[in-house]
Amino acid sequence: MAASGPYWQSKDSTDAEAYVDVPMPPGIQVVQTELEGPVYATAEGKTIYTWPLGGLRNGNAGDRRNSGVSSCDDTIYKETSGYMSPYPPGFLLPELETRRSCEQLWPPVLAPADAKPVGKWTTIKRKNGQSQWAYDGYPVYTSDLDKKQGDVYGGTNALSGGAQGIVRRPIGPPPDVPPELAVVPFRTGRMLTTHKGFSVYVSDADENGKSNCTGRCLSDWDPVVAPQTAKAKGEWSVIERSPGIKQWAYRGKPLYTYVHEKKARAVTGSDNPGWHNVYTQRALPPPAEFTVQDSRIGQVLADKDGKTIYLYQCNDDALDQQTCDHPDSPQVYRLAICGNFDPALCQKTFPYVKASPGAKSDSSLWTVETIDPNTGKWAKPGDAGAIQVWTYRRRPVYTYGDDLKPGDANGDNYGEFNGQRNGFRAFWVRDDYRNNNVGRAPNDR
Amino acid sequence: MKSNAVRMMSVAGSLLAASVTVALATASAQPAPLQEGAGVLKDRRIGYVMTHKYWAVYETDGAKTECPQGFNDGPREQFKKLYEDGKKRSIVEAQLKREGDQWHPTTAPEAFVFKEAQGNISYGLNLDGKVGPEDFTSPEGEKGIDNQLYRVIGCIGHYRTMGTINHFENLFMRSYDDTRIVIELTEVDSLQNDDSVVVSIYRGGDGLLQDATGEGFIPGGTQRIDTRWGKEYMSKMNGKIVDGVLITEPVDRVMLPWGVTFGTSGYHVFRGFQWKLKLDPEAAEGLMAGFVDVKAFNHHLNTSWSTHHHSYGQLSSPSQYKALMRLADGYPDPKTGQNTAISSAVKVKFTQVFVQQPEQKELVSKK
Repeated sequence: MAASGPYWQSKDSTDAEAYVDVPMPPGIQVVQTELEGPVYATAEGKTIYTWPLGGLRNGNAGDRRNSGVSSCDDTIYKETSGYMSPYPPGFLLPELETRRSCEQLWPPVLAPADAKPVGKWTTIKRKNGQSQWAYDGYPVYTSDLDKKQGDVYGGTNALSGGAQGIVRRPIGPPPDVPPELAVVPFRTGRMLTTHKGFSVYVSDADENGKSNCTGRCLSDWDPVVAPQTAKAKGEWSVIERSPGIKQWAYRGKPLYTYVHEKKARAVTGSDNPGWHNVYTQRALPPPAEFTVQDSRIGQVLADKDGKTIYLYQCNDDALDQQTCDHPDSPQVYRLAICGNFDPALCQKTFPYVKASPGAKSDSSLWTVETIDPNTGKWAKPGDAGAIQVWTYRRRPVYTYGDDLKPGDANGDNYGEFNGQRNGFRAFWVRDDYRNNNVGRAPNDR
Repeated sequence: MKSNAVRMMSVAGSLLAASVTVALATASAQPAPLQEGAGVLKDRRIGYVMTHKYWAVYETDGAKTECPQGFNDGPREQFKKLYEDGKKRSIVEAQLKREGDQWHPTTAPEAFVFKEAQGNISYGLNLDGKVGPEDFTSPEGEKGIDNQLYRVIGCIGHYRTMGTINHFENLFMRSYDDTRIVIELTEVDSLQNDDSVVVSIYRGGDGLLQDATGEGFIPGGTQRIDTRWGKEYMSKMNGKIVDGVLITEPVDRVMLPWGVTFGTSGYHVFRGFQWKLKLDPEAAEGLMAGFVDVKAFNHHLNTSWSTHHHSYGQLSSPSQYKALMRLADGYPDPKTGQNTAISSAVKVKFTQVFVQQPEQKELVSKK
């Protein structure tokens, strides 16, 4: 199956998530992004992130909420912290001669010395006396990886958590949804659910502002009931199904849950012709030659030959938890896992997904980049041995050598801590068994 | 250890015998009057869902018989022996080297001593129909038991009664429906004695019915069969019931869902797979056995459980791999002659369920 269909929106779509207009300090703006929806950004357009405190096996890292302290400073850490069991601390980190400090990678968003709190925005004092903005009690930063407005390469809310490391998350204003509903961030888009996490659907048989689901239809579909006090606002409207019974509608279409769904965040209702999950916005389609394949718990994104696409995730074990999943970062972590430090074996175990000459994608998430496959670092077109590869969020993607037929996902969870800490995860687009978590438990950060 | 050729011939012989049995059974298949135990059978069929699974390890008091030298070292102990000498090292020389060794294991000798389980008693089945010098005797006295995996895992704390794999693999099997293993017996005339039944394996898609204690399971539930994502987990085999015990003929390859947590959805692959289950109308209990594919077994271990989790039960993945390859006793690689699979057994329990096949309908996401 070609990689189109229900998971992505066309490049012509104008769907974008509406947000609540909350107070912001001068110099902070909201920017629409393809995957994360609306995010806060600096006046220059740089996406803003927080680094909330999180627990690893042997200790915590990140910023403690409302502490007034930033843990991201100018220290250049030399050794491992030992937070990732079972390995003890004290081992020298790679590429120390070029290692940068946390604040070089994550520049603080500075506030004027006389800045006043606005809404959830407050200030903290950094060790050097500078004022830094904080949001919801957490100091805020930009990412050295982001170069232009709309870039969100420093982190995402749409990937798996668990033992991933204490990562940075982009922040934004709350989505403009009624209290009965919520937005769940997936890699393919931002899906609407009830506040209890169950997916909501719309029907082609309905009209704008009118439900045609009555009688037997209601044995399969439950209207999403709106309270008596509910009022229309923005893209949200209220229809009266029968006297006293109100139903939420989004972009004019009445909303339902699928009564046969027992798991949260499911998409099984969309298997019924004419019924669709609802997204505030979806990502644009992946490269045109990519496909979607049925696999053992759902569907995976695959290359043109049907081989499952894998993402590589990595965080190092220093106190500042630097990412190592990017060609700018040390590659020894990945090389250890995919080839026991042998680049040739690596390229056999997890080959890069090569891009055809001139290939490009409409999606800002998918770009063609030039890589030196032996070092894993960026290269220039024409460099000896350099190859053109597909990247997702500017991280190369891979297939797995021991996937022998379309739908195999044998490379999933390959690496430290089930592939979350330093390893490979399949690009699941649908998971019918694990609440569409793709490894992300509800309470994971 | 049995020779590769003997193994291949014996497995092939069993398969031939199975096919002859099937042919004979098919030729004589006539609806017979229902016999004892038939009250629970609906349309001559009965289903069961797996509620417990434990790699079969024969344990004596204090492990004195099978592990007289104690248990094996795990990642922490081995790491300490290798690197805690006061010398400053990089992460590449230590942690990442150990991870690299784990993901790309070899059969090269190592400095650590691996403690294989001792003795000649083990759970399991006689998978090749022969009695050889490396075979075990079952606790009930049956000779010719093939379970070389027991030699490998018997002195690794992880796999023993209080081991974490036993605990968590069962916990997660009950928690996640994608690990649901369902069997359905069809063409059954009696749960007591029936010379020809068909056993199908499926992945079910529903939760288990646990009782109020949370420890017991209630018969009579329904399992809807996953024929879409679970196609690879579907198998069919022939068997017979003798004095209430189901015994199946070996089938060449069975793949069983075996996911745990952290978003894993792994599986195990068995060659020459068989069941031996004591049946009753509400439950079934016994063994599943076969030659587990060593590469798939190791891959499952590493992708399902991290080095941190291996450390809970003193399980060194690189050391275990060497032992698995050393003791592998079946399915030789046609090119190298190296055995690729190792005889094994799993103790299992089931509760009766009603098996519901899905209605066939066109799904939008298949278009």
